[in-house]
Amino acid sequence: MADLPDRVTLLGIRHHGPGSARMVEAALARVRPELVLVEGPPEGDALLRHVPDLTPPVALLLHDEADPASAAFWPFAEFSPEWRALLWAHGAGVPVRFFDLPAAASLTGGGGPALDPLGVLAEAAGFDDPERWWEDVVEHRTEPADVARAVVEAMTALRAEFADEVDERTSRREAAMRRNLRQALRDTDGPVAVVCGAWHVPALTSLPAAAADAALLKGLPRKKVTGTWVPWSHGRLTTASGYGAGVASPGWYAHLWECAARGDTVPRWFARACAVLRAEDLPASTASAVEAVRLAEALAALRGRPSPGLSEVLDAARTVLCDGNQAPLDLVHAELVVGERLGAVGGDVPTSPLAADLDRSARRLRLPVRAQPRSIRLDLRGETDRERSKLLRRLAVLDVPWGVPDSTRTLGTFAEAWQLHWRPEFAVALATAARHGVTVVAAARQVLGLRAAAATRVPEAAEVLGDAVRCELPEAVDGSRAALDRCAASATDALELLAALPDLATTVRYGSVRGTDPELLRTALHGLLARGAVGLPTACRDIDDDTAERAVAAVDGADDAVRLAADDEHAATWRRALSAVAGMSDAHGLPAGRATRLLWEGGELDSAAVAARLRRAVSSQAGATAFVAGFLRGSAALLTADPRLFGVVDTWLAELPGPDFEAALPLLRRAVVGFTPAERRMLGDRVRGAASTTGPGAEWDEGIAAELVGHVRALLARGSGGHP
Amino acid sequence: MTTETVLRPSAEQQHAAELDALARADDRPRPPRWRMSPQAVVRYVLGGTLPDGTVITPKYVGDRRLVEIAVGTLVTDRALLLVGVPGTAKSWLSEHLAAAVSGDSTLVVQGTAGTGEDAVRYGWNYARLIAEGPSEAAIVPSPVLTAMRTGAVARVEELTRMPAEVQDSFITILSEKLLPVPELGTQVRAVPGFTVIATANDRDRGVNQMSSALARRFNTVVLPPPATEDDEVRIVATRAAQLGRALELPAEPPALDEVRRVVRIFRELRSGSTVDGRTQLKRPSGSLSTAEAISVVTSGMALAGHFGDGSVTAEELVSGLLGAVVQDRVSDAVAWQEYLEAVVRERADWRDLYRACQDR
Repeated sequence: MADLPDRVTLLGIRHHGPGSARMVEAALARVRPELVLVEGPPEGDALLRHVPDLTPPVALLLHDEADPASAAFWPFAEFSPEWRALLWAHGAGVPVRFFDLPAAASLTGGGGPALDPLGVLAEAAGFDDPERWWEDVVEHRTEPADVARAVVEAMTALRAEFADEVDERTSRREAAMRRNLRQALRDTDGPVAVVCGAWHVPALTSLPAAAADAALLKGLPRKKVTGTWVPWSHGRLTTASGYGAGVASPGWYAHLWECAARGDTVPRWFARACAVLRAEDLPASTASAVEAVRLAEALAALRGRPSPGLSEVLDAARTVLCDGNQAPLDLVHAELVVGERLGAVGGDVPTSPLAADLDRSARRLRLPVRAQPRSIRLDLRGETDRERSKLLRRLAVLDVPWGVPDSTRTLGTFAEAWQLHWRPEFAVALATAARHGVTVVAAARQVLGLRAAAATRVPEAAEVLGDAVRCELPEAVDGSRAALDRCAASATDALELLAALPDLATTVRYGSVRGTDPELLRTALHGLLARGAVGLPTACRDIDDDTAERAVAAVDGADDAVRLAADDEHAATWRRALSAVAGMSDAHGLPAGRATRLLWEGGELDSAAVAARLRRAVSSQAGATAFVAGFLRGSAALLTADPRLFGVVDTWLAELPGPDFEAALPLLRRAVVGFTPAERRMLGDRVRGAASTTGPGAEWDEGIAAELVGHVRALLARGSGGHP
Repeated sequence: MTTETVLRPSAEQQHAAELDALARADDRPRPPRWRMSPQAVVRYVLGGTLPDGTVITPKYVGDRRLVEIAVGTLVTDRALLLVGVPGTAKSWLSEHLAAAVSGDSTLVVQGTAGTGEDAVRYGWNYARLIAEGPSEAAIVPSPVLTAMRTGAVARVEELTRMPAEVQDSFITILSEKLLPVPELGTQVRAVPGFTVIATANDRDRGVNQMSSALARRFNTVVLPPPATEDDEVRIVATRAAQLGRALELPAEPPALDEVRRVVRIFRELRSGSTVDGRTQLKRPSGSLSTAEAISVVTSGMALAGHFGDGSVTAEELVSGLLGAVVQDRVSDAVAWQEYLEAVVRERADWRDLYRACQDR
């Protein structure tokens, strides 16, 4: 086992630690290495020439060329030690290399959350902010030259303590680091600087025989890996790969980094906090800032810390600047502690043609890419807004939900509300989608085409059709219409056919705005409707209660769709189907009741017929509850407000002979069980009101009416649960 | 005066031994005129064990951070304002902080609608004033003036109950640390160590909003209601036992389960839902603070001691509970009745409580 030559300087760092970043900068300036090795995948070396074009936070994105969805990120912030090393090497004209395990091997084996060794030391020392610990304990009290050596010693002890944290993957990574370090020593005779996580430093202090490392590295997967630089966000800094949690306080770290040289961390932080509050018209005087600094320092002294950390400045800000309130502190927190910002990547950095196209489109449509969420409203009658909407819809098809339609606000057919929020990991989806085409339009068309071809069931095909219409891609519309026909022809479930109608009806209405000929879509709708109408009566026969629920939903939705978009001929077909269901004696009560109601609303059945139908249902006993429930379901408000509906039910109840009325009571009670207490109270008031306004009529027997009202009152009161 | 002869000894009398031990063991630097270092004050409030084995009882159960911020504020020359709903131990904390910092928690101004400027600045001994004319000797100092002269902590209870113009007389005192005496053409300058701890509650009716000029002179610490049921049970049980001893009630403090039940009722009604989150409840108008829970338990002890067999059961707790919950005869009675029927009746081991409530 050979000791490491003296010309190698090992710089053990805390990832994204501004303290470590300062140490690295100082050490590089002192040592002036001729070669710098930085923790990271060697495949990224080719991209290092772009470093001067980048504005951190940025991430190195590498993915498997054959399978772009298998990708990983290596993020860097302004204050990341690795970034400082890359910058220094570039400025000094010194070659720099990544020397970790190749990305080809790490793309598949996802590592768990890594131990933060310096964080562990800080915690042991009683600090909750590792960066302040580094500054206070390590930097202020140690000769710069000794810091690196002290880190080695501490880590060696720590690794002995946490030996089980060194898993197979870590051993392999360290073997790769040693192999690359040997190569570096062969390539240069000058000093070499190594920047890597402090945790790995003990594994690099000596170089065992190369054969041992080679054995460890045998059988690693080989893949062709390509990549690029992508803008990253502060919030996702520690996310080495995947979508894990990030650094909690990137804004504070950035502040520590920026202020380190000036040495005015705490005063400047409070000055900025005051500025944030004043921008929101909240009082924050300079005098208060002075007091806040003093309180932060007093707290630090009280807690035995050499200087205030994040928790002290936040405590002081809450107490002095925010009058103890949380809301203004949240503002400060969002602005200064999280301090979300998005990096930028220069124009010369290679990107996939798709990403470049998106960039061009976004710029043309003046949709700035931002890490903070923001709402926009688009008027589809305007050309630009319509283009924007198309772009967002197409991106959504490509799994890049940059914009999410804001469904909480309905703005009619001509306007849309969107919530825009760019998340850095969209870069992966973009890279994945790149194989579908070189522009957003082409890729979306391709994806929709594939989805249409793969659709086997009506709802899937209908969804593709809706997407295609909203994306305004005529070829995709044609393809998905064909798919819809195909699925409808082979569909056996009428309810499934009908369930696809409401969306389609909306699409028909939307089509006119969207530049798709509504007639084409209407034809598709008619096709589905015709098939569904034929199958409906059969679908309501001999079914269990769950299916009956589905049937009611399908019938309701389809009826809305028919009224919205169908022509007269098909509307008539639909009504015939409803009549068939309503007239069938062996149909399940729920859809039958509902069909009766819909026909009555449409004027197909008169009130007398409905009353007869209700009477028949009650007399048949079996399924009677379901029928009444199907008839009345969800109509509490209508029942109170619509005198006709109320009249039908009222007449039906009034005309029931005594024994039948007794039999109907429990049914009715169960039918209205879904009404809310408020609705039942409203109904009760309506009944009382009706009793008083109807007055003595010729066909009324006052005695019977009074008795009936009493019955109904008791019924409704019992229904509303325990409040006599 | 020994502690046995008064109903409620002050904090520094009651905990004299702890304060002495803390001061003895304290080797950290003390701010001018402080009896002990800020760290020792924090330990006095939160409790702990000293190197010499003296056990310091916890005075405040809650977030350590808040106590540190409060003590940190006293170190700077800003005044401290403790804000919170009634019964969040504002006055309690204020008294113990004053006792630990200056060894005297009795320099208190109680804020009421009738508090005048005299109570904040100074009054006159009229006999002397008439006999000798205005003089230093004819001045009757307020607690605040005394604290300024001796470098001690002055406490202001219920600051926002004072009329606004009286509140504002604190502005000069807090910002300039001086109190002009125009009648004598002199002024009193505060000596180091002087500071003010004020309390205010933000929920009650009949408070006078503080002017922002005054608010700027204070660091504000908001004291939350106890975070967990266990914390609150601990507070209620400890305080009820202490009060029971002080009042010489001939009853044992109730079993922890009984206390837990009271605390749970209070917490559920306060938050408007049951602990399992399944049932929504009407919220009564009262504040249902921890302090009221304590008084429900102590009044239960009093009843049990004098009229019962000395052990506190549901029977004894009910009247206190009703009194605390039903403040508004109409709406609160409905809320309580609903709670009784929907929650108390459903809990199998609360049957005794339900019956006891039904009897009333």
